[in-house]
Amino acid sequence: MIYEALGFYSLSLFILFFAYKTITVPNPVHSALYLVLTMMGLAGTFFNLGAEFIAGVQLIVYAGAVMVLFVMVLMLFDLKAELRSFSRGLLSGSLKVMASALLAGMALGAIKNSVDPAGLQPPAEISANATRQIGVLLYTQYLFAFEVLGVLLLVVAVGVVAVSRMKGGTHAKH
Amino acid sequence: MLNTEALLNIGTNHYLFLSAILFSMGMIAVLMRKNVIVMLMGIELMLNAVNLSFIAFARESGQLSGHIMVFFVMTIAAAEAGVGLALAVAIYKKFHEINIRFFEHLRG
Repeated sequence: MIYEALGFYSLSLFILFFAYKTITVPNPVHSALYLVLTMMGLAGTFFNLGAEFIAGVQLIVYAGAVMVLFVMVLMLFDLKAELRSFSRGLLSGSLKVMASALLAGMALGAIKNSVDPAGLQPPAEISANATRQIGVLLYTQYLFAFEVLGVLLLVVAVGVVAVSRMKGGTHAKH
Repeated sequence: MLNTEALLNIGTNHYLFLSAILFSMGMIAVLMRKNVIVMLMGIELMLNAVNLSFIAFARESGQLSGHIMVFFVMTIAAAEAGVGLALAVAIYKKFHEINIRFFEHLRG
């Protein structure tokens, strides 16, 4: 029990520290690299929660592919103009932080007031071959959603090429 | 007086706390930053917080549907990042800066 708590708290500190760095450092490249570390911490948390397959996918898809995409797009830009890119205004800034803090406080209060069955009894164990069961579920019960996602990815791939080759759109003056 | 039993006995609530705080941090990033790329990173942070609560609930209920949902959310997130970055490239080609205030000048 004590080791589980230690692991949870150290991983939480890791995640929250690097998430804080992600949203506060001025340089977007540093932001992206801190976000990679946050994703890795989250993969560790998923592993702790018994979701080994999801932890692996998190590492490969998020920390690998998506963040590489982010960093490569950042390399296209001139970053010197981006260093001071926080929203200005003390009043609006404090209002934004207060709105987020209100959301966090409400969510935390709701969680705290809810009954936690997992605290009373040990959680139901997911069996060792969870990856196999995920595959079976994905190709039986969720087959339609899976196919729709495939079509969506195709549409997005075509759309991304179209948008990035766009020269002014329909209102452009030639 | 701190309840050490509740602190040390890690349950679903603890993971939900972490998820809520992470979600709020992503929301702050989206609200406070003017750089489109960092705002997209905030969205990724929020999606990851939701994934964490999905996995926590999946462990609590012992069902694997939560894992499937996380898998789908990751796919959608990758697609969304692709579209957002393409928009950022379009905005940069026109204004040579990726600030959110240039989005109102985009046409078509």
